[in-house]
Amino acid sequence: MLAYRQGDAGAFEGLYARHKGPLFRFVLRSVKERALAEELYQEIWMRVIEARGRYSVQAKFTTWLYTIAHHRITDHWRKRGLQLVDVSDADAVGHRSFEPEARAEGRQEIARFSAALAGLPELQRETFLLHEEAGMTLAEIAAATGATEEAAKSRLRYALARLREAMEDG
Amino acid sequence: MAETERDEKVSAGYRALGSEEPPRALDDAILAASRRSPARWRVPLSIAAVLVLAVGVTLRMLPPQPDAESIALAPQVIETPRPASAPPAQLAQPAKPKEQAKLAARAAPVPEPAAAPAVAGAAAENRMRSEVARSAAADSARRDEARAGARLESRATAEASAPRAAAAPAASAAQGMLAKKSELSPEAWLARIAELRKQGRAKEADESLAEFRKRYPDYKIPETLR
Repeated sequence: MLAYRQGDAGAFEGLYARHKGPLFRFVLRSVKERALAEELYQEIWMRVIEARGRYSVQAKFTTWLYTIAHHRITDHWRKRGLQLVDVSDADAVGHRSFEPEARAEGRQEIARFSAALAGLPELQRETFLLHEEAGMTLAEIAAATGATEEAAKSRLRYALARLREAMEDG
Repeated sequence: MAETERDEKVSAGYRALGSEEPPRALDDAILAASRRSPARWRVPLSIAAVLVLAVGVTLRMLPPQPDAESIALAPQVIETPRPASAPPAQLAQPAKPKEQAKLAARAAPVPEPAAAPAVAGAAAENRMRSEVARSAAADSARRDEARAGARLESRATAEASAPRAAAAPAASAAQGMLAKKSELSPEAWLARIAELRKQGRAKEADESLAEFRKRYPDYKIPETLR
């Protein structure tokens, strides 16, 4: 990113190739709508490009990238009138709807997992995705989401428990 | 808990969801934006760099700013014609007013075409040069006059001492004429004696010669007059 900040366009291509898949899936599985995911995904990268002059080596690029993504997705939820709250009781998870595509394909296990993931509270799902998709540590997740490390740990624990439960139910 | 709590079964279930990628068109759009974007800030940056460089070079090429004293003195030097009999102390430093004239020409805040200050400076310099030359000539003439005056004065002194010396023995009737002759140079006096002899006025010639000998006892008198 430092090389790109100094004008090396090739350096950006390397960064993009390494992070495009995980980031796209993180966005897609956060908002669950492909068209919206593509729009948000592009906006996130545009913010990276515009903010490169302010980039400083205070954290890993991955943390910086997902911090931008977190803010953009949070804005999206707020525009839709949704309040991001920490939900840690299992009852709240049980009321989420399943994705119809997964069910229609008949792949029960995948559908159940997908449904369980989609049914997670946003903050738990985000923490799980950052941990699983972006490979971030709890400290990095805490930094990217503006939470404490303890909160990130709690969210991840609840998310894993719920997903494990969904897989075992099959 | 941390990273050790990663659930392999959950991870496998997650990987089974697939690995969706962004559409190619989206990749191209983002990469194009990343390549296009640096050009947007490189051009202004280049312009800014060129401007800074140009200003820096211009500032370096400017002559050093004259101090307030020089600026204040310069117009007087240009406008006030120095009298030809300026004191030698001023003539001994012709470069200083010339520099001041140059500085004044450079520092003059004249809102005219760019060539005007240079022309004014050259004119002022020429004026200064001619004044200095004129002063030098006048001074030289004055020195020549002084030397000539000194020569005249010393001659007058020497000649004035002759009548005084001749006045003491003058008692005869010829004294008036002798005194008149004594104002002559020795050569002229002898020529006058020779003329008297030629005219047959031997007595007068002898008296005059005697008087001459008293006045100039060491002067070698030609044989023809003895």
